[in-house]
Amino acid sequence: MSSSSSVLGRLRLSFHRHETKLACLLFVLGIAIAAAAPRFFSSVNLALLARSMGVLLIVSVGMLNVILAGGIDVSAGAILAVVSVVLVRLGNHGLPASVVLPLGLLAGAGLGAVNAALIAELQIPPIVATLGTAGLFRGLLLEWTQGEWESSIPPWLNSIGSPRWGGLDASVLAAALVMMAAAWILHCTQIGRALFRFGDSPLAAARTGISARQPIYFAYVSLGLLTAIGAVFYAAQLGAVQGNAANGYELTVIAAVVLGGADILGGRGSLLGTFLGVLLLSSLQQALVLLHVAAFWQNIATGAIVLLGVILSSAPLLHRKLLLQQSPSA
Amino acid sequence: MTSPSSAPVSLEQFGNPAPKFINRMMKLRLSENLQPGVVTLLVLFFCIYAGYRSGDFWSALNWQLLAQPLSEAGLVSLGMMFVIACGGIDLSAGATVGVAAVTAGIAAHHNFPVRAIEAAALAAGILCGAFNGLLIGVLRLSSILVTLGSMILFSGIALALSNGSSFAGFPGGLLWWNDAALFGIPVEFLFFLAIAAVVAVLLRYTLWGHYVIAIGSNRVAARYSGYPVALTLFGVYTLEGLLCGMTGILLVARLASARADMGQGLMLMAIAAVVLGGAPIAGGSASVIATLVGVAAFYIVQDGLLLLDVPPFVQRALTSVLLLVAIAAGNLLRGSRKDLR
Repeated sequence: MSSSSSVLGRLRLSFHRHETKLACLLFVLGIAIAAAAPRFFSSVNLALLARSMGVLLIVSVGMLNVILAGGIDVSAGAILAVVSVVLVRLGNHGLPASVVLPLGLLAGAGLGAVNAALIAELQIPPIVATLGTAGLFRGLLLEWTQGEWESSIPPWLNSIGSPRWGGLDASVLAAALVMMAAAWILHCTQIGRALFRFGDSPLAAARTGISARQPIYFAYVSLGLLTAIGAVFYAAQLGAVQGNAANGYELTVIAAVVLGGADILGGRGSLLGTFLGVLLLSSLQQALVLLHVAAFWQNIATGAIVLLGVILSSAPLLHRKLLLQQSPSA
Repeated sequence: MTSPSSAPVSLEQFGNPAPKFINRMMKLRLSENLQPGVVTLLVLFFCIYAGYRSGDFWSALNWQLLAQPLSEAGLVSLGMMFVIACGGIDLSAGATVGVAAVTAGIAAHHNFPVRAIEAAALAAGILCGAFNGLLIGVLRLSSILVTLGSMILFSGIALALSNGSSFAGFPGGLLWWNDAALFGIPVEFLFFLAIAAVVAVLLRYTLWGHYVIAIGSNRVAARYSGYPVALTLFGVYTLEGLLCGMTGILLVARLASARADMGQGLMLMAIAAVVLGGAPIAGGSASVIATLVGVAAFYIVQDGLLLLDVPPFVQRALTSVLLLVAIAAGNLLRGSRKDLR
């Protein structure tokens, strides 16, 4: 019975997929939460969970692009802060939404392009380049705001963040649209496939005629753009912004993507995994809040979950990759 | 008579790899020597300008005040240098400093003697480092992922240990680290120089240092050569933990208090300093002098900008620009655009 054995084989294969392990982990966590805090599964709380996931998911999709291309971006939190302050400040000056929103998105894409240029043109390693730009963006932003809070946001921004549709808000819709667009781009377009190829091996990609610049620009500009989209909802949900907003946010984003099974060396990762990673981190945090656990225990639990995810995902994979890979003598 | 035609098998037949190889070696040498030089030159120009604009810049007090935070960041950077040299990265360094500082605070709270407080802080640092080393060296997990997780974990542990509050009331013996000076040089800085010398010996004259560089250059080759990769990596991260523990003690002594978030910012500073010194982030190269130049450059520029009345947020932006410019300049001078692909 060849057909049944191939089905069995496919089942076994899919069991070894990281997403399956992650789903199991999520399932176990779900049972634990159901036992400890049954309120978690009330419709009100689930809507709240969806709202809290929106921004993280949107930015994580951008970070997935960057990590797929073999890069990393630790300036995403700074970009998020810059764009949200730009949006709120311009909005408070009385400019209409039709002017402010495009400007904000343009700012995000522009800052992403700065990162891409440093990495692609000046050949600065991604972590160093984005470390530098993170300090640069954040420093200039703080100088601009002088550390003051923008404690009121324009009414149109407020209406974006207000809940409707049974507790959901526009960020959930936007996250769904972003996921669909990303699925199409990553799997059905040339640049999406190039991203995977380039991340897996820049040399092999160059040999098959993929430009060395294009995937880098695409990855970082798309992260900048998606971070800007996230910033709209971030500011709208929070109702107040300041220069130090989203400090360290990039690390949560990277943790979510990595928890979702993306290979930090590039070339491997999936949208489904990223979604599960975001879901896992967000529901863990939400559950701990419901259980009235002090904030530092949330840190400990998050760190432990990330480490668990890393151990689950990369042990066999990394071993194989290390043996295959001739490390570049840069 | 230099014609090689008499030889039965000429290297030319196999595309003679030797000249290319030597060429590469020369480039590597050049790059190793160049970046700290560029940075030193930039900083010297800056010093002359700062001294011209501000009378306080060359005062002894300024340099004494400058030397203390420099030594703390320097210790973390020396550890980070090893981590980066073996092809890894340690994002949890700042959190480890926090754990060590809080441990010292708890020990002082229970009226431990000075040496016991120091030992407790060092042990906490070593434990954190060994935890990373175990996961990265023995379980072969990716360093950036492990330390990302352990950074969140350690900062949570530090907060839980301190209950989110800060400790004060340290014995005078511990504060000695801050108060004492020899010929006007803070003892903290002398301690840092001594550690730097020890680390330099470890790096250049021991088998372990050789292993670290070999693993960073090519991990697979190191494994096939029978080098103890797991043990060496374990040692590297444990050493980083130990140095973070020392930094925790010095920070506690200088500020006479201990908080969980004390090491914040030190991690990024350490990575930036090592890279500013010209070490490739991919590993395989390390120099104590270059790392010292990197750390010193950051602190001297920051201090100078402060004296020049540059707003604090702009200082932060300018030091980041310094990092980017120095790396870009080093890359361009090296002409390594092709090498990286």
